[in-house]
Amino acid sequence: MIMGTVRAVPRLLHPLAWWMWAVAMAVVANRTRNPLILVILVAAVVLVAELRGEDRDRRMTLFLWLAAVVVGIRVVAQIVFGGGAIGTTVLFRMPQVPLPEWTGAVRLGGPVTLEELADALYGGMSVAAMIVCLGAATVLASPRRLLRYVPATLYEVGTTLVVGLTYAPMLMDDARTAWAARRLRGRDGRGPREVARVAAPVLSAGLRRSMALAASMESRGYGRPGAGRQGTRRVAGAMVLTGMVGVALGVFGLMSAGTSRPVAAGCLLVGAALATATVWRPGGRRPPGRTVYRPDRWSSAEWSVLICAGVSVAAVFVVVAADPGALTPSTVPLSVPDLPWPAALGVGVAAMVAWTTPVPPDRMEHRP
Amino acid sequence: MSVGDSAAPGSSASGCAGPASSASGSTATMGVRGGGLSWLVVGAASVTGLLAFTWMFFAGPGSFLAAAGTDGTWLFSVLLALLAAAVGAQLASGAFDAKTVALIGVLSAAGGALRVLGAGTAGLDPMFLVLVVAGRALGPLTGFVTGGLTMLAGGVLTGRVGPWTPFQMLACAWVAMGAGLLPGGRRLRDDDAARPPRSERWLLAAYGLVAGVAYGFLTSMWFWPVMAGSAGGLGYDATAGTVANLTNYLSFWLLTAMGWDLPRGILTALLCLAAGPAILAMIRRAITRAGFAAPVRFHPEERL
Repeated sequence: MIMGTVRAVPRLLHPLAWWMWAVAMAVVANRTRNPLILVILVAAVVLVAELRGEDRDRRMTLFLWLAAVVVGIRVVAQIVFGGGAIGTTVLFRMPQVPLPEWTGAVRLGGPVTLEELADALYGGMSVAAMIVCLGAATVLASPRRLLRYVPATLYEVGTTLVVGLTYAPMLMDDARTAWAARRLRGRDGRGPREVARVAAPVLSAGLRRSMALAASMESRGYGRPGAGRQGTRRVAGAMVLTGMVGVALGVFGLMSAGTSRPVAAGCLLVGAALATATVWRPGGRRPPGRTVYRPDRWSSAEWSVLICAGVSVAAVFVVVAADPGALTPSTVPLSVPDLPWPAALGVGVAAMVAWTTPVPPDRMEHRP
Repeated sequence: MSVGDSAAPGSSASGCAGPASSASGSTATMGVRGGGLSWLVVGAASVTGLLAFTWMFFAGPGSFLAAAGTDGTWLFSVLLALLAAAVGAQLASGAFDAKTVALIGVLSAAGGALRVLGAGTAGLDPMFLVLVVAGRALGPLTGFVTGGLTMLAGGVLTGRVGPWTPFQMLACAWVAMGAGLLPGGRRLRDDDAARPPRSERWLLAAYGLVAGVAYGFLTSMWFWPVMAGSAGGLGYDATAGTVANLTNYLSFWLLTAMGWDLPRGILTALLCLAAGPAILAMIRRAITRAGFAAPVRFHPEERL
């Protein structure tokens, strides 16, 4: 099979491929409230992230915790404040607390029904699965690597961010040193005053470094503005402004029931496209002949990631189109959710990228 | 700490940086070009951004957004990310010189590092100290960019980039911009020798308190429809009106997020009281040393 050859050389995949895959998975999670599909999806995403994660130190644990918190908050809020709004199967009763008039519609306590718990659980799981999917993007390909693909007009912003990301660990080291020094002098290093005592020397050292960096950047020719850019900048500014007015009008249109939806949506899309187009405008200040250092390849493994993601999104949309209720199990009346197998298979296809992509260089022993 | 000891390296720093900036012919003193265009772009972005935060209160029953429900949250997340790219390109492209890049980069590094260090302590964010003081020292427009970039750097450093990032970036940009708009800021920025008044630390602290709480109030808003679900009297109800949803949100915020937002505001205020003026003086000195504010004149005979 080709897979053997694809997998031969350990390498990192193009970051855009992973991010598109993760966003596609998030779209799938957003489209479904079926807990079985969501569990399969989260399992698939975590599996891929664990097997193909770029860095062994970056784990999914944080995002799984975040997802659990989202589900927890949603369910607890429903138990405490739900008041048995939907459903008839009362599980238990919370002690009811009468609230003063100004609290409005808030109810505290009261009956807790199985139906409302299921509803909160399904909704919470859908959001939690989205968080896991998008978190997987940062585990599979760090946002730092995406920075290499910013268009030329965002060159300054991108450079600023790279400076920030490079200096932050140094500043943290400085802070630890300063903090250790404070403790050696018998301070416990707690409280705002101590934070301030540590922050001042750290920032002072950082700013001194920043000026050295600026001098070295200027001496290497960074920051030469091109001639005659003023005109392009004005045109781009006008486009951004027009685009944002379009977006705002579109949003206003979508917020009122009276306007025709195609007009409002069109206004929004055209506006967003116009504003975003300026980012890719010609004449961005990339110096001529600036090349990318060791650009990431885009080969069959990247295509396989996109194809797998596309298949699972298509599967979910086809299932929803065929039967709108298939992926939103009924809660009133409550029924055991069944497993729509085309959607489950689609999600399974997305997990196949763990086998169609090369192993990241530093984790060879993780071959599936 | 004293201004005197920085005089000698300061002159050398501006000595090596000065000719380069005069050769570039840049007329901007630093950072984002303060022009009508930049203000218009920031203003338009702020209006659109405010809509992205508050759409759920104004979406009329039967409208597209009300029908979309929680999907509106994701739509606006994508929209804000696109607009952030457009605004960043517009404000920075061709306007940032090496010194601006280095200064804003280091400030966002400091903010991001504080965010990483503070991540362990119950969600307290010492980052806001940097946002407030940087906004005050750099002015509203450059502060706007610095705020957004600081948040982005913090997100990348802590590995928490997601649909929440565009909203957090915009809210942080507002926090820093607001600090730049505080009274008396223009005098501090135009005149290097101007001494901040004695009340400076109290002004910064009061603003830090308000901004820290307001930041939380806004950023809890974007995920409210997703998070609260349909819990009675707390969640987003697409069929209810503006007032009902506002009271629902207020109850939600008071009961959940305020527990984090109030400590954040108080911490920012305390940090501003303890270190605000010192850090402000540091950033101002860095700006002066880089010769940012020095009017650049081009004398052809000097090149000989």
